[in-house]
Amino acid sequence: FCFLHGFDAEGDLVGSLASMSTNERIKAIQKMPETMGKKREIRNKVLKEITKKSRHRGGQPSCCTQCLQGAAVSFRRFGNTLSEHFHQLRIWHKTLKIIGAEFGTSVLSYFVFLKWLLNFNLFSFLINFSFITIPQFLAAEPNNLSFTGLELFTGAGYFQQTVLYYGFYTNATISKVENGPSYNMQLAYIFTVGIYFVICFLILLFSMAKFFSRNFVNPQTFSVNASRLLCTWDFNITNEKAVKLKQKNLHTQIKEGLTEVNKEVLDFSAMEIVLRIAIHLFAWAASLGIAVAACTGVYFLSINNLELFMKGHRNDLESQSAMLVLPVVVSLLNTLIPFFFSWLGHLERFQTPGQHIYVTIIRNIILKMSIVGILCYYWLNIVAASESQCWETLVGQDIYRLVLVDFIFCLLGSFFGEFLRRIIGTTVWVSLGLPEFDIGRNVLDLIYAQTLTWIGILFSPLLPGIQMIAFFIVFFVKKVSLMRNCQPPRKVWRTAQMMTSFIFLLFCPSFLGVLSVIGVTVWRLKPSEECGPFRGLSSMYAAVSEWIQILESFTASKWVVWIYHNLISSELFFFILSTFVLIVTYIYCEIIRGRKTMTKLLQKQLNN
Amino acid sequence: MGNKQTIFTQEQLDAYQDCTFFTRKEILRLFHRYRDLAPQLVPLDYSDKPAVTLPYELIGSMPELKDNPFRQRIAEVFSEHGDGNMTLDDFLDMFSVLSEMAPRDLKAYYAFKIYDFNNDDYICKSDLEKTVNKLTRNELTPEEVSLVCEKVIYEADADNDGKLSLADFQHMIIRAPDFLSTFHIRI
Repeated sequence: FCFLHGFDAEGDLVGSLASMSTNERIKAIQKMPETMGKKREIRNKVLKEITKKSRHRGGQPSCCTQCLQGAAVSFRRFGNTLSEHFHQLRIWHKTLKIIGAEFGTSVLSYFVFLKWLLNFNLFSFLINFSFITIPQFLAAEPNNLSFTGLELFTGAGYFQQTVLYYGFYTNATISKVENGPSYNMQLAYIFTVGIYFVICFLILLFSMAKFFSRNFVNPQTFSVNASRLLCTWDFNITNEKAVKLKQKNLHTQIKEGLTEVNKEVLDFSAMEIVLRIAIHLFAWAASLGIAVAACTGVYFLSINNLELFMKGHRNDLESQSAMLVLPVVVSLLNTLIPFFFSWLGHLERFQTPGQHIYVTIIRNIILKMSIVGILCYYWLNIVAASESQCWETLVGQDIYRLVLVDFIFCLLGSFFGEFLRRIIGTTVWVSLGLPEFDIGRNVLDLIYAQTLTWIGILFSPLLPGIQMIAFFIVFFVKKVSLMRNCQPPRKVWRTAQMMTSFIFLLFCPSFLGVLSVIGVTVWRLKPSEECGPFRGLSSMYAAVSEWIQILESFTASKWVVWIYHNLISSELFFFILSTFVLIVTYIYCEIIRGRKTMTKLLQKQLNN
Repeated sequence: MGNKQTIFTQEQLDAYQDCTFFTRKEILRLFHRYRDLAPQLVPLDYSDKPAVTLPYELIGSMPELKDNPFRQRIAEVFSEHGDGNMTLDDFLDMFSVLSEMAPRDLKAYYAFKIYDFNNDDYICKSDLEKTVNKLTRNELTPEEVSLVCEKVIYEADADNDGKLSLADFQHMIIRAPDFLSTFHIRI
C-alpha cells in the first residue's frame, strides 16, 4: 500500500502512475485505499501530468496523435459499453442475491456452479446447432416414422430419424448450388466436436489453476478461532431470520470451541487404534464392494438391454418401456447407495467433520464414475462390435435415456429429500426439524449429469440443448425447494476449498475420462457402414487423414499439411512438449518449496 | 455513447469509472438507489457537485445493510467525517470495496478498519470483545468473551505486542480464502 505521508510521496506516486499504461493506471487507482475524493484528485493530477509530458515531448501534438488519442478514448468507452451490455445479460442476478442473502455463500456456490455448467452446455448447443445441424437440415431425408408420445422418454421411434442422433447426419458434401460453395459434413462434424473439447479443456484448466492459486491453504497454518471471528462473517446474508440463525450458530461454535477437549491430543490405547483402523478398512472394503457389485449388476443388465435392441424395432409399449429399465436401475443405484455411504461414515468415527465429508464425497465419486466407466466399456466394446445397423445411434439413445431419467430422479430427490422431509420434520417427528440443503450430494449429481452430456455430444449433437433445458428446470425447482423447505446450513463450510475440490473433480475424473472415451471412439472404433457422417471409413479420424491427403495436391495449403505431419501426428513433437511441461512443472514446484522455507524463516525471525 | 443522461457530466462519469470497480450503468443504478433513500434531499443534477450528505439512519435502513451487525462501523469507516453520514462519493466507494471485483488487499484494509472500533490502527482486545458481542448477540458470558479474544490474539498476533496490526490481519486473511466471498455485498 502507499500511504501518502507528505507531498513528496504523492509527487512520486503521480509520476509513477503517469508512466504506466492506461489499463494499469486505472487498476492502480481503483486499488488505492483512499477516499473517492482523494482518488479523484490523484487521477486528475496524473492526467495533467500525462498531458504535460506529451506536450514536452514534441511541441503541439500533431493532428494525427490527437486523432489517435481521441480514437483510443472512444474505443475504451465503446469497450466499456459492450462489457456493460454483457453484464446486463447476467441472468438470475436477483435470484442469486436472494439465495445468498438467506442461506449464505456456501449454498450460493451450488447455484453459481450450476450456472457455470449451463454455460458449457449453451456454448456446445450453439456451435453444434450452427455448424452441424443447420447444414444437415438442407440435406435432410424425409422421416417416415410416426410420432407417438413415448419418444420423449425413450428417445427411440420417431426421434431415430431426426437430427437428434448421429445416424441421421449425411456423409456427403452439401452444396445448394451446382458447383457452388460446398460444405463437407464429415470434417464439420469432427472439427466442431474437437474444437469444442479443446476450448472446454482450456477453460477448465485455467479455472482450476485460478481457484488453486487463490484458495489453496496449508491446513496446518489455518488459525481456527481468529478466522472464525474475523474472516467468516457472511456479509451477503441480509435476511433478519438468517442473521439471527447465523449468530446463534456462531455462538454454539464458539462455546464448543472453548469447551472441547483438544482433539489432536486424544490418547488411544493400542487396542483402540487397531479397532479404528479395522473399522476404516471394513468401511472402505464395504464401499468398494458395493461399487463393484453395482457395476456388475449394471453390466449384466446392459448386456440384456442389447439383446432387446437386437431383437428388432418393435414399437410396442412393452419393448419400449423395457428400454427404460437400465436407466432407472442406474439412477436408483446412484440415489440409494450414497445413503448407505453416509451411514457407513457415521459408523466410523472421524477425527474432524471435514474428513467425514471428504471421504463420503470420494466414495460417491468412485461409485458414480465406475458406473459411467462400465457403461462406456459396454458401449464401446459391445455395442460398437454388435451386428446392429447403427451403433452410434443406439449409444446416443442410451445416453438420452440416462440423462432424462437422471433429471427425473433429481426432481424426485428434491421432492422426497426436501419437501417430504420438511413435512415429516415439522408435523410427525418434530425433533428432526427442517432439512438442510445437501450441497455435496447435489454438486456430485451435477458433475455426473455433465459427464453424461459430454460423452453424448459425439453421438447426439443436440444433447447439450436438452441438458440445458434440464439444468434450467433444476435451477428453479431447487431454488423453490430451498426457499420453502430448507434451513440455512449449521456448520461452517469452507466454501472456497470446497469449490476448488468440485472444479478439480469436474476436471479430473469427469472431463479427462470423457476425453479418453471420445479419443478411443474417434481413433479406434469403426463407424457403422450404413449411417452417419463417417459411414464406410475405417475410423472417424480417417476423415481428417483423407482430407490431409487431398490437401497435399494443392500447393496453397502445403503449410497445413506440414503442420499436420510434423506437429499433430508426429510422436517426437509430443515427446518434446511433454518434457518441456514436466521441466516447467518441476521448476515451479521448487520455487514454491523455496518460498515456503523463506516464509518459515521470516516467521521465526518475527517471533524472536 | 449510449443513453443520454443528465445527472453527471461525461467527465464525472469517467472519473467514477476510473476510481471504482463499477461500470457506467452500475454507477447510475447506484445513484438512483442513493436518491431513493431521500428523494427530497438528493437533486437529480450532480453536474455542479452539490454537497449532499445523507444521515446514517437512512443508510442503515437499506435492505442490504439493515440486518448486518456491523452496519454502523461500515458506515463510519466509509463516511467522510467518520460519523456515518455519507455523501454520494462515500456511498459509491463503500459498495465498490464491498463488490466482488475488489481485490483482497483492499478488502482486508477496510475490514481491518471496520473491526477497529476505537480507530487506533490496531485491533486490540476491547475491539475484539465488541466484535464477539456483535457476532453472538451478547449471549456469551464476559469470561467466555475474554477467553475467545485471548485465543484470537494468541493465534494471529505475529509480532507479540498483544494486539493485531494491519500486517497481522492481512497475514490471517491470506490463510482464509473464504474472506473474498464473504466480505461481499451484492447490490
